[in-house]
Amino acid sequence: MKKAVYWTEERRAYLLLVLPALVIYWAVIAAPTVFSLVLSATNYNGGPLFSASRPFDFIGFGNYTRMIQDKFFWISLKNNMYIVLISVFGQIPLGFMFAYVLHRKLVKFDDFFQTIVYLPSIISTIVVGRLWQLFFSAYGPFTEFMQRFDPTWQNKLLIDPKIAIIPVLFVILWMYTGTYLIIFLANLQKIDPALIEAARIDGATEWQVLIKIILPALSGVIVTSSILAISGSLRSFGLLFALTGGNPARRTSVLALYMYDTAFLHSPRYGMANAISVVMVVLSLILIIIVNTIEKKFGGSED
Amino acid sequence: MSTNKKQKGDFNPLLRIFVYAVLAIFTFLTIYPLFWLVMSSFKTTNEFLRNPMGWPIEPTLNNYPTAWVRAQFSTLFTNSLFFTIVSTLAVIFLSLMAGFGFAKIKSKATPLLHGSFIIGILLTIESVMIPLFLFINLIGLYNTRTGVLIPYIGMGLPMGIYLCTEFIRSIPDSVVESARIDGASYAKIFLSIVVPMAKPVAVTLAILNVAGVWNEFMLVNMLVSSDALRTLPVGILKFSGPLSSRYGLQFASLTIGMIPIVIFYLFFRKEITKGVSAGAVKG
Repeated sequence: MKKAVYWTEERRAYLLLVLPALVIYWAVIAAPTVFSLVLSATNYNGGPLFSASRPFDFIGFGNYTRMIQDKFFWISLKNNMYIVLISVFGQIPLGFMFAYVLHRKLVKFDDFFQTIVYLPSIISTIVVGRLWQLFFSAYGPFTEFMQRFDPTWQNKLLIDPKIAIIPVLFVILWMYTGTYLIIFLANLQKIDPALIEAARIDGATEWQVLIKIILPALSGVIVTSSILAISGSLRSFGLLFALTGGNPARRTSVLALYMYDTAFLHSPRYGMANAISVVMVVLSLILIIIVNTIEKKFGGSED
Repeated sequence: MSTNKKQKGDFNPLLRIFVYAVLAIFTFLTIYPLFWLVMSSFKTTNEFLRNPMGWPIEPTLNNYPTAWVRAQFSTLFTNSLFFTIVSTLAVIFLSLMAGFGFAKIKSKATPLLHGSFIIGILLTIESVMIPLFLFINLIGLYNTRTGVLIPYIGMGLPMGIYLCTEFIRSIPDSVVESARIDGASYAKIFLSIVVPMAKPVAVTLAILNVAGVWNEFMLVNMLVSSDALRTLPVGILKFSGPLSSRYGLQFASLTIGMIPIVIFYLFFRKEITKGVSAGAVKG
């Protein structure tokens, strides 16, 4: 009797509506996350997971200690941080500046510029990566351009481990500034134009409008975008795969590529790859908590 | 009007020149490499090595048919279209269903379940790629279409459910309630009221998902080994990878890979930017 009441039409409908999405989503995100937690504590190196002869032993935190003793882990982490820095100090200020001048119509051809600045981020990371690799290669226009100034100039951009990250950061700046332009533009459009007009009529200069009205209104978005930049850097894989493959000497690796190489480059080391995965998931979860805290603090001013 | 003009003038003219200069540099850096790419695709490899920057002296179209056949572009396009269309339709439909449930049927489970999807917006699929690879192997879906489609759908759902729930919440409760009083089932309300009303959010979602899946590389590269299942990004990288020295063919294959999405972008510019900004508010 009680059971019959429990499964009301509403409850059944809710279940039928939500369940399909939930099953697929949890299979893709939650199951692997649990998987990685367990496997990161093992020395699993391949073979059927659920067979009579268990293909792994539990080794505790061994993978994690091996990971933090591996210099490529720190090189990858450092490169992830460089990517965050180029976003925060390159893409975000540039994107903001572009959005501001386009929104206030301080330049002509605003539609054209918007289209161009966003264009690179719509192209596949593979095409972009290959294109710039060719562009910066010894046969590419960049070499020829530099040699016009200094005929003895040797192109070591993609070979010298010390500087190889620079072209990578340039391509990332080139590719994703448009995304921030779009985000800032959308949020600028939410500011009441009457507010700006009134300030202008009261004699405020363009500069004062920017400092006193626009920057405060967008402060929440700027902070959130900076945190999104961290999540974006964790995402970077395809571009680097096609542009440098993490080379020379794995000096342009990032965490995602480091995980991939750990699993596939030599003999498989799945246990350690899963430990790297756990680190990346934990980093993402920390970001999510920070974003939520900030959104509460700024009172959803970006909504 | 004249005062307005005068006021605009007080945006420091030096600053204005600076802004124009930065925009001009950015425009040049976008257009020139893409132009160089397309231009080089009309050169033979020999000509490219002799003349990497200049206009093609003996322009040739031969790179295109050769690259098309050797890189198996018909297969690549078919697979890319298949994965993009099927996953996009599935994401839209499943997101609308779940969004309807979350938005219009009261349940204590909603904060937890809906919240788990919202976490997925920032929790990138890259961070679980190896466990996902092992999981897909475990359930026997390695190197199958389904084994690619399921991650693609799962990857698109967080944003889809976020946007759809928000959108369906904005439909007045009274619409659903009065249909209920008239005796309509939830299935009927969903199909004949919610789905038709949700067209704008479906379009936004479709565009976000098409751009995302069409360009996706990491998953197909890892989850598929047979030529017959490869998509454009994977096939293009395999064909024009760093070890290839057939430059003419490389440039042609990169151009073929770039053109469709650029056309898509130029056509749906407004919708794409709207979708990106709608998606970026939370994620």
